[in-house]
Amino acid sequence: MSLSSASSTLLRTCARQQLPTARASVASCQRRGVADAKSSFESPFASANERGSTLKIPNFSKYSSGNSPRSNQVFSYFMAGSLGLATAVGAKATVQDFLVNMSASADVLAQAKVELSLGAIPEGKNVIIKWRGKPVFIRHRTQDEISEARDAKWEGLRDPQADEDRVQRPEWLVMLGVCTHLGCVPIGEAGDFGGWFCPCHGSHYDISGRIRKGPAPLNLEVPQYSFPEDEVLVIG
Amino acid sequence: MAGSISNVIYQTFIRRNAVFLTTIFASAFAFELAFDTTSNKIWDSVNRGRQWKDIKYRYLNKDEEEEE
Repeated sequence: MSLSSASSTLLRTCARQQLPTARASVASCQRRGVADAKSSFESPFASANERGSTLKIPNFSKYSSGNSPRSNQVFSYFMAGSLGLATAVGAKATVQDFLVNMSASADVLAQAKVELSLGAIPEGKNVIIKWRGKPVFIRHRTQDEISEARDAKWEGLRDPQADEDRVQRPEWLVMLGVCTHLGCVPIGEAGDFGGWFCPCHGSHYDISGRIRKGPAPLNLEVPQYSFPEDEVLVIG
Repeated sequence: MAGSISNVIYQTFIRRNAVFLTTIFASAFAFELAFDTTSNKIWDSVNRGRQWKDIKYRYLNKDEEEEE
């Protein structure tokens, strides 16, 4: 059926371009198209049987699959799916590498924490250590200082914050030693409120590190810290 | 025989595109896990005795505090 329609298409094409040189072959083409429409395709322009002819239609039957169409289909879908799998894994690894590249490296993480033993700090003493390039105040507070910090009327302060929110253990006050005004380092056990006093512009902090007087807008910042053991403090 | 197996595979995984994609991503996850585990094992076996986790005991058996 398709062969015969192909033949008639050819016939029409032949009829349109009847060049004098091609007339003979056209005639043969017409004859053949009518006579044996069921036989295999042969070019009307040259005989495929001629020696050196480039018009031979090769036989592809040895390349055709012997399997069922469904298994061929499954194979090609499997290959497409495997390519998708490899792409997904590769894309995920690429993105992950870029993101990991941006996160802090192990040596930076190792320096980001400071550990110190609290047993060496007597009651009522300040210790200043360096953490991430900034001073950190650690005060071992006495009972009087704790009760003073707890009993203060903190609701009316400039930066109202309860002492319970600023310390994990009431006897240990840990905070960044950077004045919240312009970044000076306050002096310990000084000022009008028995806490810290910033010499640059005269900010007074109380025994919980809260701003009481002077230009500073906020309380001294409390860093992240923890007590992994009883006598060990880890900042960071 | 082979035709029936491929038919079952086709009907189960490929026929619906959502199922096909889900299968691809699930097997990508499994493949990555397996690939990472295998390559780590190969790396560790090639570099046995040369990595910190292999020689850690030589330095840390005296005092456990310097673990990190």
